[in-house]
Amino acid sequence: MTSALSFLGGAKNRLLPADVPFSYFTAAAGFHVLAWMILLLGADDLPGFVGGPGLILAALHLLTLGVLVMTAMGAAFQLLPVATRQPLVRTWPARLSFWLFAPGSLILAYGMVDGTLAMLNVGAIGVGTGLAIFVILTADNLRRAGSMPLVAAHGWFALAALIGFAGLGFALIVDFDTGFLQHRQPIVLTHMLLAAFGFMGLLAFGFSHVLIPMFVLSRALPEKLGWLELALAVSAIVMSVVGMLLENVYAVASAAIIGLAASAVYILLMRTALRTSMRKRHGLSFVLIRFSWAMLMLSLFTALALSLEVPVPNGLTLFGFFLLAGWLLTFLTGVLQRIMPFLASLHAVNKSGAPPLLSELTAEGPLKLHAICHAAALVLCSIGIIVEAVALIRLGALSGLVGAIAFAAFTANVVLQLKRPKAS
Amino acid sequence: MEFQRRTAQLLHEDHQATVAIFETLEDMIVSAKRSTPDTTEASIRTALEQAIAAIDEEVSSHFAFEENELFTRLEDLGDTGIGEHLREEHQAILPISQQVAKLARRALEDGFSEVSWLEFRSQTGELIERMFAHIQKEEMALLPMLDDILDPETDMQLSENYTSNH
Repeated sequence: MTSALSFLGGAKNRLLPADVPFSYFTAAAGFHVLAWMILLLGADDLPGFVGGPGLILAALHLLTLGVLVMTAMGAAFQLLPVATRQPLVRTWPARLSFWLFAPGSLILAYGMVDGTLAMLNVGAIGVGTGLAIFVILTADNLRRAGSMPLVAAHGWFALAALIGFAGLGFALIVDFDTGFLQHRQPIVLTHMLLAAFGFMGLLAFGFSHVLIPMFVLSRALPEKLGWLELALAVSAIVMSVVGMLLENVYAVASAAIIGLAASAVYILLMRTALRTSMRKRHGLSFVLIRFSWAMLMLSLFTALALSLEVPVPNGLTLFGFFLLAGWLLTFLTGVLQRIMPFLASLHAVNKSGAPPLLSELTAEGPLKLHAICHAAALVLCSIGIIVEAVALIRLGALSGLVGAIAFAAFTANVVLQLKRPKAS
Repeated sequence: MEFQRRTAQLLHEDHQATVAIFETLEDMIVSAKRSTPDTTEASIRTALEQAIAAIDEEVSSHFAFEENELFTRLEDLGDTGIGEHLREEHQAILPISQQVAKLARRALEDGFSEVSWLEFRSQTGELIERMFAHIQKEEMALLPMLDDILDPETDMQLSENYTSNH
């Protein structure tokens, strides 16, 4: 069997050792379980939540840092070198980044339960240094990327947003102790917008230009539309930040409209990929991915309604839930269930010593259970937030928890197949 | 995908044709469910005949071209990994594809029995899965590399060799 390191770039080692991306993906699967568990415990506080220490803030950061950013880091470390055809300069910093970021996220989330400063500070240092290493490695890779300017441009803007949301995050933690921020709420919202739309959203859009055509075997997407999507998305993010910081509703409403236009162009591009796909069947992962695109639009329509002062019950909480759990979490679980078996197939061998089948590396049952439970969780929690029914939110969180456990079982299966002794 | 080099584009078009044929086989398996397909039906006969032709005429020559003309060039450039990996996949795919072609030929002559259908379904399922994963890797890694490494003259020569053998 060919060495795992040799495929996708041979001597240049563009395929990282399996432990690098899989440590991120496995941790994300664990944080996913933890996030729903903490939401279940703190369900009482979810309707009307707009920030502040407590179980919801902890659950929110277990989801955003622990699942979303963790997955983005693992995927970026592995996929950027493949997409840009430039190897990662060293692999040990990617491992170090994980060992700072993963415990840091856990400690930070723990500190957020009751605002314990020591925990918040230690956690923030771990998260911050882990992210700093990620920024340096990714920037170095993007700097050398010549073949994929559109993906690289998404990456640069995502890194800029990361620096912005991390800086504001530090400011918010300092504010817990000193109260130096005169208007905390606009900073909280800007932090969330930069993290969710700026960093995660742009990375998701950028990687989609490579991953979606690869998954469905379609032709290259029209590049001009890709640049239009990026220009609109970046304009929307900048406009939303300006609107939030100046507390200007017109700027926020304009940002939502431009964001809707950016998302419409993005979805048009993705539909082009699906329409020109060599394959007709795209599987369960694309049910989730398509659903996530619908949730992206729904989150932006909710943002627009809120900025126009349309009375949406617990609208801000609902917007955050649609954005984070509906769009980003659904999208990433859809993508991860394709990436993990594919990457594992490059590293593993089956009993006969032949390259393994993807079906040997995946687990259909847990993935189906996850999809059903995740969809139920989104519906139940959304209704629960709107009608302020804690029982519905609990039921939704329980459903999300069962789905997350099923997804963790799928992840564990992939990792166990990887660890199986190789045939000689 | 659209490739700058004609060789990459020809291999890509072959992939498209192979995916279409194997998807027809997949449709046949999915729609049959637990029942045994009737090989006197025109659509079943066409699916089996196309699969046999693709395996006999396309798959082997496509693989041979890649192994003899492309992987060797990559190896000369010091990139041995991708050729080794894809060769191993070829070695896994070829015996199964020949077995599927044999079972399809027998079915065209004698029809499917319950036993032969189960065997055909199992072998074809594995072949489809291996073939799609293999094509995905080639589309993602091998063909973009050809765009990078082939100069126009070599590209012209290779693409002519490829078309003359098809």
